[in-house]
Amino acid sequence: MTASPAAIAVAFGGPSPEHDVSVLTGLQAARELGRVGRSVTGLYWSKTGDWYQVDPALEATAFVEGVPRGAEPVRLTVGPGGGFASAGGRFGKARPLAAAVVVNCCHGGPGEDGSLQGALDLAGMAYTGPTVAGAAVGMDKLAFAGVVEAAGLPALPRRLLEAGSPDPGFPGPYILKPRFGGSSIGVEVVEDLATARARLGANPHLRQGAVLEPYRPDLHDLNVGVRSWPGLALSAIEKPVRATASAEILGYQDKYGGGEGMASAPRELPAALSEALAGTLRDCAMTVAELCAVRGVARIDFLADGETLFVNEINTVPGSLARYLWVDPVVPFGQLLDDMVTEALERPAARFSAVGADGAVLRAAGSIAGKLG
Amino acid sequence: MTWVLLGVCLAGLVPGALRWLRVAQREHYLAGSVFRFAGRWWRCGLNPALALPGAAGVVVAAWWPPAVLVTVAAGVVGPVGLGLRGRTSKLAWTRRLRTLAGVVGGLEVVAVGAGLLGGVRMGLVVAAWTILALPLVVDLACAVTAPLEERLAAGYVARAADRLRRVVPQVVAITGSYGKTSTKGYVAHLLGGSRAVVASPASFNNRAGLARAVNEHLADSTEVFVAEMGTYGPGEIAELCRWITPDVAVITAIGPVHLERFRTEERIVEAKSEILASAPAVVLVVDDGRLAALADRAATEGRRVHRVSALDPSADVSALVEEDGTLTVRAGGEELARGVPGHAQPGNVACAVAVALELGVDRAEIGRRLGTLPTVAHRLEPVAGSGGAVVLDDTYNANPAGARAGLDRLASLDSPGGRRVVVTPGMVELGPRQEEENARFAEAAAGVATDLVVVGRTNRRALLGGAARAGVGAARVEEVAGRSEAVAWVRAQLGPGDVVLYENDLPDHYP
Repeated sequence: MTASPAAIAVAFGGPSPEHDVSVLTGLQAARELGRVGRSVTGLYWSKTGDWYQVDPALEATAFVEGVPRGAEPVRLTVGPGGGFASAGGRFGKARPLAAAVVVNCCHGGPGEDGSLQGALDLAGMAYTGPTVAGAAVGMDKLAFAGVVEAAGLPALPRRLLEAGSPDPGFPGPYILKPRFGGSSIGVEVVEDLATARARLGANPHLRQGAVLEPYRPDLHDLNVGVRSWPGLALSAIEKPVRATASAEILGYQDKYGGGEGMASAPRELPAALSEALAGTLRDCAMTVAELCAVRGVARIDFLADGETLFVNEINTVPGSLARYLWVDPVVPFGQLLDDMVTEALERPAARFSAVGADGAVLRAAGSIAGKLG
Repeated sequence: MTWVLLGVCLAGLVPGALRWLRVAQREHYLAGSVFRFAGRWWRCGLNPALALPGAAGVVVAAWWPPAVLVTVAAGVVGPVGLGLRGRTSKLAWTRRLRTLAGVVGGLEVVAVGAGLLGGVRMGLVVAAWTILALPLVVDLACAVTAPLEERLAAGYVARAADRLRRVVPQVVAITGSYGKTSTKGYVAHLLGGSRAVVASPASFNNRAGLARAVNEHLADSTEVFVAEMGTYGPGEIAELCRWITPDVAVITAIGPVHLERFRTEERIVEAKSEILASAPAVVLVVDDGRLAALADRAATEGRRVHRVSALDPSADVSALVEEDGTLTVRAGGEELARGVPGHAQPGNVACAVAVALELGVDRAEIGRRLGTLPTVAHRLEPVAGSGGAVVLDDTYNANPAGARAGLDRLASLDSPGGRRVVVTPGMVELGPRQEEENARFAEAAAGVATDLVVVGRTNRRALLGGAARAGVGAARVEEVAGRSEAVAWVRAQLGPGDVVLYENDLPDHYP
């Protein structure tokens, strides 16, 4: 274990439908990092986009009504010398937050879509988890399907659904999903295309766009974790169990209703699979991890019927950071986090380059008016 | 020697200050409220026997300083029953409370310092006096900090108003003496499938709370903001509506709540009706004649009026209780849903349906979602108690109409064990009607129950008087000091087959 002494800020919350789950993930990570002796502070991102420094030892209930008691407002500034700093009291001046690394625990919105990553890149801060590009492709279910399809991996057809979209070319029933989103929030099963179109206007989660897939009740979920430091490695394969027999798809309640987040959801782990299916799944997972430039820890979700396998989606900042998947090989949560922190410091997510912009073009340019003419 | 006594005196101030600061916090830092509560506490039980020597001690101290020790003892121990940290309502060291505590300390320093100018004995006497006058000192501190708090709050409100201008949600504003919170929950549920809804958390129904709800919960994509608006006095809702402009305004019910501040129900109607002034559409429960009159007035002002009812199926929206206890909901004469489960307040359900219709939610969708309406927990739902008796928990109720509904529910349940018990500390904040409303409730309870357990001292006289009016053959009356004693009594006395109704619960800063 590389025990780097760097001060760590665990970021969680955020203006996202998965704000609450992210609070759980963040508090778990903060608690574990503290337990293994790291210097940790909590960075709570409110639903309305404000940042606060909070006690990392808080319980989840402290966040039920909003910003917890004792939270200190901080600001994120981008640009050279940027980062998080306390706003400063009436007499004090802005005090930068001592944090060499941000452990990103923000799910389902900015933080898993590249936008927070962009801000942290511009602020020059090291952070764990996906890069701008990795997060963006993971968050866009349509773009992800395109990447998977281009690589020749098995997947169910997935089409953009708009009011005037043509027939998708496969029959109903369908699964209708928000195009952007990291969980099953807003996902619906619909009988036919007319119903799907009607739901477009009604379901608030589909406002930013929706994708349509065939609904296959014969398929079940299979998940695998993947981490990138010190090298790309897969976890055991998990088969989540649907809590209610009537549930059509694995729902948000199944995953998070238990209160502890993903870590306490019912599951079969490791899943009892044929060697052939497990092998195919691992191969597909490695390819997806490379295609999506997995950084930190991700969870790749598949659909299967026992023989056939389809790549479904990737979660680049998975619930509980998928810590519960690492049973074979065993990776303790502290180790998982520690490796992510080391990677954040050793392998920056972005390094902007100005190589080639040596002035030659400018010298040769002549007048701007001439160019316009 | 006198200096030592002064030190003892100053140390003796601390427990009293903590006590009264807690009362101030529970009573929303309203100047004057601490003094009122001090009067209640010092009058009841053994406390007068503590107060008199305490006061005498100060007087005697002018000649014989050690007499202040009696005063200090009285201030440290009394009033007996009012805890330092509190059980139901703990002292929370919020920023505001810390400020208040600082000001209380400052006032003490100034007072005692001024006394010391007249010599150490004078300082001692002043310090002893301020032990007795601590409730007034805390009230004074509340008054002094009010403008500062107002300035701070104005900052939060300005931020919230700015956020509302940016997010531009449709605003549903709900007020009423009771039923606000349930109605808000119903509205959020009915809209939930088709709109991005944010509802203000339950306790956030005043200016500071709503500002916080907007600043911390109103995410950018919010389409509908459901705001619960409470009021402690005239003009408050009008002020809220200046920055949270309602698109739909709802009044659920009018009842004698907070009469201590309003004095009459007419003034409550007036204060609640402020919510209608700037709303293009309004929803009113016309089963109450006063709200029906408001509906007529709103119609003449050119607003879209939804008259809803729990009694009249021909109202714009109605929710009627059927024989089996379920609800049938109609809108515009047509049935929307039947068999809606739960003991939901039908008027509140009707209000929520009217809001959903006003905001253009599909009728079929409303019908569907009515089937899964969240039932309000702890509302007159019989549960098995630990001793085997059936428990009706109505401890969240605080108004006469709800208390009567609790008694009806108690009367409707079988009690094969033979005992029906009502446990209650009575109701508060009923102003000039508090005595009579509690007496009336106790009279009715004594007619329904076999035992009436009177908790605490706040309404003891009124409840005992009311129970006595019920006459011969009515309930036996038991008096207990507090809630835990009441629970112990129930455990000891009741067994399987008995029924107990817990009606209201007072926070422990009430005697």
